[in-house]
Amino acid sequence: MTNSHDNDQMRPAVITCDGFLGTDDRPVEEIIRADDGTVKKIGLTHRAIAERMEYFSREAKKGLGEFVRLEPHFEAACEMARGFLSCPFGEPGKHRKAVVTLRNLRQKKEVIFSGLNVHLIAEHGFYEGKGSCFRLDPEELAKVLEIGG
Amino acid sequence: MENIEEGKGRKILINGSRQVYAAPGISLLQALKENDIFLSSACGGHGICGLCRVHVPEGADSAFTPAELAHLSPAEQQDNIRLACQVKLSRDLRISIPEKFFHIREYRAVVSSVRSLTGSIREVVLELVKPETINFKSGQYIQLRIPPYPGKRRMVYRAYSIASAPSDGRHVELEIGYARNGLATTFIFEHLKTGQVMSFNGPHGDFRLSDGGRDMVMIAGGSGLAPMKSMLCDMRDRNITRKVRLFFGARSPAEIFHADLMASLERTLPDFKFIPTVAAKNPEEKWKGEIGLVTGVLDRRLEDNFNGEAYLCGSPAMIEACLEILRRKKIPEERIFYDKFA
Repeated sequence: MTNSHDNDQMRPAVITCDGFLGTDDRPVEEIIRADDGTVKKIGLTHRAIAERMEYFSREAKKGLGEFVRLEPHFEAACEMARGFLSCPFGEPGKHRKAVVTLRNLRQKKEVIFSGLNVHLIAEHGFYEGKGSCFRLDPEELAKVLEIGG
Repeated sequence: MENIEEGKGRKILINGSRQVYAAPGISLLQALKENDIFLSSACGGHGICGLCRVHVPEGADSAFTPAELAHLSPAEQQDNIRLACQVKLSRDLRISIPEKFFHIREYRAVVSSVRSLTGSIREVVLELVKPETINFKSGQYIQLRIPPYPGKRRMVYRAYSIASAPSDGRHVELEIGYARNGLATTFIFEHLKTGQVMSFNGPHGDFRLSDGGRDMVMIAGGSGLAPMKSMLCDMRDRNITRKVRLFFGARSPAEIFHADLMASLERTLPDFKFIPTVAAKNPEEKWKGEIGLVTGVLDRRLEDNFNGEAYLCGSPAMIEACLEILRRKKIPEERIFYDKFA
């Protein structure tokens, strides 16, 4: 996991319109540390969470933008735009502009995440700053994904 | 933008004959742009798209950046192929680039209209100011410069297919789909106004109507209709009589746009059929067309060993799914065309 970063890459209008930090004024390292603590507390790993998200992404893409029913009680849609995004931690590679809407029909809850979110969680344990458009609270996310305790 | 004169910057010798100068420290992509040479770049120079490949036999730092390592094959690295956005001008450079890049220009234009085609797609019409006309092939794209706007201090470039016909060189029409939290689309959907002055460079891209006479199948989703519209209008204007079937995927009947134009083209072109399909419809919506994903309709209606050409434009997922179907139906790769920037 590499967490060296250029703060500039996290800001609005560099990689994404609103950036990755939202209204959170904590340093990135502190955001990561706090979320890491939450993930450990619920007995999970970032990679396990990301793998579950990746599964829903993969299935959702098959719907070409429409919701796909996924057993036992999920539905997911993936909106893809042309072009790519880079990792704000400067890791090489490119990430499709893909946004997944995942609905847990039993819980009547929904989460929205991007392909870049999956990478940031898997490789950097980064769930973005509070107030960010794509901020994911790890505990809430795990509940909707129905993963872990 | 100021050009750097000989002796005041780094020299870039291009194709052994033309030389330009630029300030040390800037990227090769930027240096060429400042000298009115525009390489293709869909990401605006962030090392993400991998399109700005250039042969740099002399003068570049030997170390490839992580972005280059992600995009360039070992053979390309061995051949001194670099991403122009990643090469910094620290010494004089010798480079070679295809001659086609010398024909790409920067244009200034006024937004003559902005309107919503659907809830998530906007049409932007640009009237050229300087130069006053553009020469392009239907299917090509431009790189639109998105200026800084409130709260967003950086300028970026984004690639958009041209939707208008080459016969009208005074205008460029774009059809732009909304991307959540997108830097460029937020500007286009929330800030762009009629009368605003914009700039772009182009035309770019090898996705274009071929010169052959084969039958054509076009598959488009959402704003991917743009280059198909350009090609069909081009065919109309040049009396090209090839057989065309256009499969267009939309979420619902309300998301189908340009239906009147397509009906008009069906009357004008000798053998053209527009086949829209909707993923779902409300019971109250009157819809007698295809229902289901565009890939399903394509799979059902296109014969195996189709002897024509396939043109694709839409989301990357749609393109990947279509490619799988076309390969299964044994359409040779060299007869399948789509934008690499997707």
